[in-house]
Amino acid sequence: MGEAIRVSALTKRFGALQVLRGISCVIHDSEVVCVIGPSGSGKSTLLRCMNGLEEATTGQVTVHGVPVHDPTTDLDRLRTEIGMVFQRFNLFPHKTVLDNITLAPGAIRGLTPTEARDRADALLTKVGVLDKREAYPNQLSGGQQQRVAIARALAMQPRIMLFDEPTSSLDPEMVGEVLAVMQTLADEGMTMVVVTHEMGFARRVAHRVLFLDEGQLVEEGAPGDLFERPREARTQQFLSKVL
Amino acid sequence: MSTSRVFVLVVTAALAVCAPVPPVSAQPRTLVVGSSATYPPFAYETPTKQIVGFDVDIITAVAKKSGLAVRLVNTPFTGVFASLNNGDIDIIISGVTINDRRRQSYDFTAPYFEARQLMAVPAASTVKTLQDLAGKKVAVVTGSTADDVASRAFGKTSANIRRFDTTPLIIAELVAYGVDAAIGDNGVIAYRVQEQKGLKTVADPSFPKEYFGIVVKQGNTALKGALNAGLAGIISDGTYARLYRQWFKAEPPVLPKP
Amino acid sequence: MEPVLWFGWFRADIIAEYAELFWRGLRTTIGVTLICIVQGSLLGLFVGMARLADARHAPARQLCRVLLRWPATVYVSFFRGTPLFVQILLMHFAVLPLLINPVDGLVMAGDAARDLKQDYGALVSGVLALTLNAGAYISEIFRAGIQSIDRGQSEAARSLGLSFPRTMYHVVLPQAFRRMLPPLGNNAIALLKDSSLISAIGLSELAYAARTVAGAYSRYWEPYLTISAMYWMLTLGLAYVVCRLEVRYGRGDTR
Repeated sequence: MGEAIRVSALTKRFGALQVLRGISCVIHDSEVVCVIGPSGSGKSTLLRCMNGLEEATTGQVTVHGVPVHDPTTDLDRLRTEIGMVFQRFNLFPHKTVLDNITLAPGAIRGLTPTEARDRADALLTKVGVLDKREAYPNQLSGGQQQRVAIARALAMQPRIMLFDEPTSSLDPEMVGEVLAVMQTLADEGMTMVVVTHEMGFARRVAHRVLFLDEGQLVEEGAPGDLFERPREARTQQFLSKVL
Repeated sequence: MSTSRVFVLVVTAALAVCAPVPPVSAQPRTLVVGSSATYPPFAYETPTKQIVGFDVDIITAVAKKSGLAVRLVNTPFTGVFASLNNGDIDIIISGVTINDRRRQSYDFTAPYFEARQLMAVPAASTVKTLQDLAGKKVAVVTGSTADDVASRAFGKTSANIRRFDTTPLIIAELVAYGVDAAIGDNGVIAYRVQEQKGLKTVADPSFPKEYFGIVVKQGNTALKGALNAGLAGIISDGTYARLYRQWFKAEPPVLPKP
Repeated sequence: MEPVLWFGWFRADIIAEYAELFWRGLRTTIGVTLICIVQGSLLGLFVGMARLADARHAPARQLCRVLLRWPATVYVSFFRGTPLFVQILLMHFAVLPLLINPVDGLVMAGDAARDLKQDYGALVSGVLALTLNAGAYISEIFRAGIQSIDRGQSEAARSLGLSFPRTMYHVVLPQAFRRMLPPLGNNAIALLKDSSLISAIGLSELAYAARTVAGAYSRYWEPYLTISAMYWMLTLGLAYVVCRLEVRYGRGDTR
């Protein structure tokens, strides 16, 4: 399996606050990796470093061999290979669902309006929100909005998908529909890095789980191993609280 | 109280009651004089913020002669007539030309200065008369006699007449090549032109003689009479001639009587 | 003209006498206002964005600060910090003679300069001063409007691979614009009234017409009431346009 993302000795400081204290890990192509840990452990920051939304203080992140934080890297181009789904959806409220999805492919990939619309319709069908294509985001439920957000990211046909706590803002009854879409993606072989509190999803879908605490990668392993037989005390402590 | 004290009290009270109560209007009140102190040599501010000038000296002398107390207040020319009407000021002396339109709404004393209009032009200009300025751009002070003269000659809504608030501004516009000529009262224009390099004055012989007067509110005949008396007085006792020579370095002309 | 009295005191005839001046003034005021709204908004947009300019890495980061943010800040501070009246006089009597001068103009010289100065001098000075002044205030509206858009919006756009200019154009500015419409509308209305100050340098607009009539007749009610009514009508018209714009761009609002 090829290397999708390589993180080397990554540290990140916000002013006086040290958030990441030297993280090193590798994400492989078609791998689904879940990142878990207490709040403030740096999970989201690690994810955001992967597509350059955050700068690295020291250390390096490379995506398919391209260094993310290098000034000479065309970050916009690199980001077309990486899709990101946010906790708060971040749909564009002034555009319809369809326009949300066709904006980037039309502007960047040069798709004609018809091609873009067709691709959007296919994705909307896949995530199960086709009937809402002409609606505005504020007319959708949280679960529907997040599924549209996933479709929007998929429209650029990325090789990697990053999910930053995708279900944390959802009412419990809508979590399932979003996780179902993510499961489909995983089954299709998408490389995914998911920051989440949904331990059930991690257990079922992830190939590997990373446990972060206080900016350090404390433990990683297959979900079966990590959840049943955590090696580190801190991991055990965390799992005992959430499971 | 002793008898003598009561007596003194009663007498005082009686005298007080019997003393004539003067009407309020005859109380000696300091009259407010409005003048636009941006008009040398008639009225202007020195670096020490004092208001001086020919107008200032005239009104001071006239007031002294008529036994009036006056206080000078610097008022922008564009608002000075409104202030007179609503009572903020009692007298205007600010290089105001006596003309029929103004006489419709205000009262003037006898003339205190003979004025003519004067044109300021670039030194190289060949303009000799007002008509030479036809089709050219002309700057005047809004509402001044020059405004009137230019409006009559070229049309009151002509786009060639550029109106500004003060004489320094019309000279500035001339210097900046925005207009071909600036027209104003002779005293002021001559003063400004000799301050600037590259300008000269041209007197159109057809410009009529005009007169400055002191302005009071329409109907205020008492004040008008007092001021006229004072003016006649300073003319006859030589004060006027002295002031005129001091400010204009020339002999004063004979002014028409009211 | 025979005095024509309305309500027993309003001499409408003196207004009629100068009708051409008022008509010209109305056209000039409308023209100046529209030009300055458009130019001021464009200038405000660029200055507002310049104030927010930033780059990921040095030396672009330092360049942004020195060449974009700092000059923009100084410009805004000066034009908001000095009276518009002073700016107009400065522009007309100090700056423009330097630039457009038949003798030694930096931008224009010779006969062309003289003709321009005589026919359009006050217009150029006035529009320039008003545009720079409006641009400063409007830039703050744009800056605040852009900053008020949730960071998540630009993060989502950038994450899709949209460049900074595209993100601004498709995602941030359209949303910001809707929020900025009320204060922009306010500014436009203020600009309409501010244009009256250009009468001080001899531009034949509405206030100039009133000053002329007041100067000629020493009567103030008639000319100033007249232009007050005209300014009020113009303001109502502007306010109506802004209202329609607010309604039109209100679709898709999250409320």
